[in-house]
Amino acid sequence: MGWLNWFMSFEHAKPLALLILFATFVLILIYVFGNKRRGSRLESYKDMPFRDEESDTKEDRIK
Amino acid sequence: MATEVIGSTEQYNFEIVKKFSIMAVVWGLIGMSIGVYIASELAWPMLNMDIPYITFSRFRPAHTTSVIFGFGGSALFATSYYIVQRTCQARLFGDGLATFTFWGWQAAIFLADISYMLGYTQSREYAEMEWPIDILIEVVWLSYLAVYVGTIMKRKQPHIYVANWFFLAFILATALLHTFNNLAVPISMFSMKSYSLFAGTQDAMTQWWYGHNAVGFFLTAAFLGMMYYFVPKQAGRPIFSYRLSIIHFWALVFLYMWVGAHHLHWTALPDWTSTLAATFSIMLLLPSWGGMINGILTLSGAWDKLRTDPVMRFLIVALSFYGMATFEGPLMALKDVNALSHYTDWTVGHVHSGALGWVAMITFGSMYHMIPRLWNTKIWSEKLIGTHFWLATIGVLLYITAMWISGITAGLMWRAYDQYGNLQYSFVDSVAAIHPLYVMRAVGGAFFLTGMVLMAINVFMTIRQGDREAARLRATSPTKMTAASA
Amino acid sequence: MFNFKHEWIETNIGLLLVLTMLAISVGGMVEIAPLFFIKGTIEKVDGVRPYTPLELRGRDIYQREGCYLCHSQMIRPFRDEALRYGHYSLAAESQYDHPFQWGSKRTGPDLARVGKKYSNEWHVEHLVSPRSVVPQSVMPNFPWLLTTPLNISDITERMMALRKVGVPYSLNKQEYDANVKKFGAKTAEMLNIADARKNLIKQAQEENYDGDRSNISEMDALVAYLQVLGTMVDFRKYDDDAFVKYR
Repeated sequence: MGWLNWFMSFEHAKPLALLILFATFVLILIYVFGNKRRGSRLESYKDMPFRDEESDTKEDRIK
Repeated sequence: MATEVIGSTEQYNFEIVKKFSIMAVVWGLIGMSIGVYIASELAWPMLNMDIPYITFSRFRPAHTTSVIFGFGGSALFATSYYIVQRTCQARLFGDGLATFTFWGWQAAIFLADISYMLGYTQSREYAEMEWPIDILIEVVWLSYLAVYVGTIMKRKQPHIYVANWFFLAFILATALLHTFNNLAVPISMFSMKSYSLFAGTQDAMTQWWYGHNAVGFFLTAAFLGMMYYFVPKQAGRPIFSYRLSIIHFWALVFLYMWVGAHHLHWTALPDWTSTLAATFSIMLLLPSWGGMINGILTLSGAWDKLRTDPVMRFLIVALSFYGMATFEGPLMALKDVNALSHYTDWTVGHVHSGALGWVAMITFGSMYHMIPRLWNTKIWSEKLIGTHFWLATIGVLLYITAMWISGITAGLMWRAYDQYGNLQYSFVDSVAAIHPLYVMRAVGGAFFLTGMVLMAINVFMTIRQGDREAARLRATSPTKMTAASA
Repeated sequence: MFNFKHEWIETNIGLLLVLTMLAISVGGMVEIAPLFFIKGTIEKVDGVRPYTPLELRGRDIYQREGCYLCHSQMIRPFRDEALRYGHYSLAAESQYDHPFQWGSKRTGPDLARVGKKYSNEWHVEHLVSPRSVVPQSVMPNFPWLLTTPLNISDITERMMALRKVGVPYSLNKQEYDANVKKFGAKTAEMLNIADARKNLIKQAQEENYDGDRSNISEMDALVAYLQVLGTMVDFRKYDDDAFVKYR
């Protein structure tokens, strides 16, 4: 169990924090991009701003 | 048509959005005018005219407060109230509370500007307001949070759209930053004067934790919220990648809070803190560019819009400036670069490539999209938008080029040695050397301000046109009107 | 864990608020909180003392006029800055500065060690009309400093407020004695709140910063403040690298 001491010492805080943060980042990446089905499910939410079309049909507004 | 108008006013609270939009334009005019004036004071000091109230050093906070919190803040209130209603498909929570945020916010900016000119300041950059105004802001801000969260809780959509995540992070972070950076003890209940709770190093760190995150959340996260709604809407296609926006959001809000100490490189702040800040500043490049790419690629397959649609041009050029500024930022956070750039105009130029290039341009684009919809009409002059675009772009480019050259010139002159190892230049030599660049900067600002004036005219005429159309409609179909409202 | 769905966060405003709050809190906590506890953050050094009442009022005016927007008070540890401004600034030197005045921009030169470098007369002339002594300067004129009498009515309130935030201005015998031990009798006298008004007037009249003995102007206070900047620590007493270990 001596290796546990490595985590306890103050000067290892930086590499430890780096490790934790990087691992979290990789986990998020895997979650978001790792699975095709989950991916397309997540992408399906991006139409949200367009569900509210009541007064937005006038395409000529800017033109 | 008539039913549509009435339907939308019932469904959404657009009154509050209209008010904030108008004030965004007004503060834009005021803040940028002061900006051009103080830039001119640096070029021609006689413009200070020995009047205390408009002397550069008292007037400058009035510029920053008017543009950041007046122009930027009002634009954010307007667009966030618009976006949260339309993406939740619910009317804004708390009409009265929302109206309070309007009057409270306008009063805070107005009082702040006047108080700086009278000499009341905490001397904390971008948080100069003295304690009574800080308390007002705190109350307004918590009301804003209540209105925003309340509206989201009323939503008819199961999901909360990405834009709202960014706005929420901005509201929370600003509350946190504002509270801790303004801890101070007033000298009496009847005096504006206070002394900050912290001193020296700790105070400096708190201030720049605030200072940089005012940039990170007020001027970035919130405007990204704007971007995530208006770029897809204007392009008529959804955001490029929803998954990228998930990563963009979490990485950005987490990383930003670490980087403030890069404003304190080589100072008496302990080395570990500024090193940590430098490291996180580099990492911040990734989510920043992730967001930029997400925005720009939304247009893929519809690039021709850039030629035909001046509003789209504003939005995309804003994203390009965002990308440029967020590349320059990490660069300047490197200790060796910072040794040269810090204390010089390079920093001022960097801020303005973000503030004018990114913040103002994305706001212009969003307002040009939103204002015709609010008043249910078409934009008065599309051609004028095009002119505004070019004036703004030329203005920013002149401004930041002048500041780059000026910053690097001064930085190099300060550290130049002659053949005997003595300093080659006195300080004032560097002041004299950059004078022409101060003139160029003022000219750049004047270009930008002219564009803003054109926008004000365009917005004014659009509103008048919208009101007239509505009046005509009421006159021609009175029966339909009563039927619909019954 | 493997069943985690980001949708949980996207559809639950409470969860979204809590997680966002967590994400934005970490950075500040890790970087700011330790500065109050780690001992080496502020160096141990002799000589740094709180401002006298007159200097304090000068500092208030320095803030009011926004001097910090163009002048830094933080010399960095570079050779050129050592030659131009002097020894690099220590954290200890701003330990009584509420708020700090390190600044962020040098439109004019750094002022951390401007004290005693120029005469009082030069400062007065320069503040009233900078271009009369430095022709290329872009600094505004501050002529009203010379004509506005210094407001000293609330000097005790000011010192009381600073005492509340930790500046050792003394209110009783015990605090006074502690100051005698820490700063010496002469300084301790100046830090006594009860004598603030008397001390202020005395310093202004003895030193006569603005060259006009008939009244105490804002100029008196501001020049008194400028003349003390960076003069408190005697760097001849320390090795060149005495402070390196704190960095």
